Amino acid sequence: MLYATPSILAFGGDTLMLLEVKNLRVYFRNSEGQELRAVDGISFSVPYGKTVALVGESGCGKSVTALAILRLVEVNGWIAGGEVLFEGKNLLTLSEKEMQGVRGKDIAIIFQEPSAALNPVYTIGDQIIEAILLHQSVSREKARALAEEMLHLVGIPEPRKRLNAYPHELSGGMKQRAMIAMALSCRPKLLIADEPTTALDVTIQAQILTLLRDLQKQIGMAILLITHDLGIVADMADEVVVMYAGKVVERGRKYDIFKHCCHPYTIGLLRSVPRLDVDEESLVSIPGFVPDPLHFPEGCRFRGRCFLEDETCCIEPPEVSLGNGHLVYCHHVVSSGVCYEKR
Amino acid sequence: MIFYILRRLLFLPLTLFGISLLLFLMIGLLGPYQRLATFINSPERLKGVDVDKLVELYGLNDPLIVQYGRWLKNLLRGNLGWSYVGKEPVLSAILKRFPYTLELTLFAAIPIIFLGTSLGVLAALHHNRPLDHGLRIFAVVGWSFPDFVFGLFVLMIFYGTLGWFPPGNLSIWAEEIVKSPYFRNFTGMLTFDSLLNGRFDVFLDALRHLAGPVLTLTYVEFAFLLRITRSSMLEVLRKEYVRTARAKGLDERVVINKHAKRNALIPVATVSGQTVIGLLAGTVIVETIFNRTGLGSFIALAAEQLDYASIMGGTLFFGLILIIGNLCVDLSYAFIDPRVRLE
Repeated sequence: MLYATPSILAFGGDTLMLLEVKNLRVYFRNSEGQELRAVDGISFSVPYGKTVALVGESGCGKSVTALAILRLVEVNGWIAGGEVLFEGKNLLTLSEKEMQGVRGKDIAIIFQEPSAALNPVYTIGDQIIEAILLHQSVSREKARALAEEMLHLVGIPEPRKRLNAYPHELSGGMKQRAMIAMALSCRPKLLIADEPTTALDVTIQAQILTLLRDLQKQIGMAILLITHDLGIVADMADEVVVMYAGKVVERGRKYDIFKHCCHPYTIGLLRSVPRLDVDEESLVSIPGFVPDPLHFPEGCRFRGRCFLEDETCCIEPPEVSLGNGHLVYCHHVVSSGVCYEKR
Repeated sequence: MIFYILRRLLFLPLTLFGISLLLFLMIGLLGPYQRLATFINSPERLKGVDVDKLVELYGLNDPLIVQYGRWLKNLLRGNLGWSYVGKEPVLSAILKRFPYTLELTLFAAIPIIFLGTSLGVLAALHHNRPLDHGLRIFAVVGWSFPDFVFGLFVLMIFYGTLGWFPPGNLSIWAEEIVKSPYFRNFTGMLTFDSLLNGRFDVFLDALRHLAGPVLTLTYVEFAFLLRITRSSMLEVLRKEYVRTARAKGLDERVVINKHAKRNALIPVATVSGQTVIGLLAGTVIVETIFNRTGLGSFIALAAEQLDYASIMGGTLFFGLILIIGNLCVDLSYAFIDPRVRLE
């Protein structure tokens, strides 16, 4: 079946990519007029139907990346360069009108705080129906039926009744389900989930993640999962992209990242997860603080916190390929041979 | 909802009782002879009259509580006393003048609310750009102008120089028509009554007399609404549900008009309601400057001449307007904001 899908050939036999982010830069200007390089030349890709996790600490540029893909960066920020290829076409060169046709239809997004993300003065039904009517040529009655079906699909009991509920009448978990129903109502090819469970109780978290996985199977969409929770990454992701201070430091398949990670930051990140099977006196943490975006260090941005640091780190780190798409951006990967297993 | 209204209405007589008691105590600070003096037009009439007998006759020397009881008893019979300023019973003087004030309020409320909200939204959408700064300066100037200063400017320019907007309620010829037996009074408001009588010339004349005070009130009052609308809109534009609306693929126009404005105008509605109530009870100065008959100028005159029956009656009436007006504002809140439940 080599010739089954011609586009596979176009990619030289690699897995077909739904989304490719190439060298994306998003800058902000603060009130003093200084330029902040929130996202500074990151590249990664999301294959069809797979889940890619974008991992990093707060403020490393994960959410900004998500918004930049949809071209929804706030007014004081702008996309300074790069490409966002969605099914081969560059979203950054589309007109605003064309982009509106992509948002909600091909790429949908769910946010961290469902209470804040739903409009408080419209019913759940109104908000879902609005999305359906926008992208599908169906009648209002049909849209209502579709909305009810979506609410049923995301596991909201009594969907017909809930269509008329206002967001404040639902619990946090139910609100996130409604949000998912709205995002998936037009069967998008890519769902961006920006910390979808951070604001929820742990038990509800598991339900929502299971729901996302089930829906992914049914709809066949890809998920770009943005999170700082490595447990969720281990649970959900096929591939992992680790971000630090506006740059990608390491990316690869989940197994490679968890078992053979080679960037000192990733190692630190994994070490700082408390473990029950190892007798530890106290929690391990990475020394120092995330640098201020105004004063990112020259060269490798992890300088000052890294246990492998030397004078070469002042130079921009090279991209080191370890095979199977496992890429590390560090001067010392191979020479040191430090891996997570040998901690 | 019904219970809420009933409970609020139950408090109404209590509040009015409090207001009247307070006022009566203040008027009680005047001695019986001082109060007697307010009944006397000219000292000539006191010649040969036993002043003490008059004090006795009107019961001005009775204990305050007895006098208050008497006043209250009369009030419950619908008798608010005799107005020396209006030369008729207080109640009919109030009911005759109130439509004029209501008319002025209605005509001023329309441009105030329309300009305040639409320019406020416009300023927010042009946040920190020249249009925003210009509107804010324009608003602050209006906000800082005392109405008696701006009113005099309007009179000077539009009456003194241009001769367009004369003071008073009507021209003499129109007043004669209104007072003639063929002119029927439906509402007591000149513009509506003249239209209902088919006298378009009287209608235009009434409008011409309304223009000056309306212009004054609009410029002085709309600024506050503009500032409230602007800040409310700016706050809403930063909300996540606005981002959700954009992420759905909605056009920016729909995002602003349907999702942002609907939320931003909730606090504005309350402020608008209070502005209208404030106008009903607070056109004293504008009515006096433009020499208009109305409740405000009536109370001002009564206060000047210590006509305490009119002061008491007028203040009670204002109290009533205030309480009922605020109740209406609170009720409207439940309709425009689904999160508000009145219990």
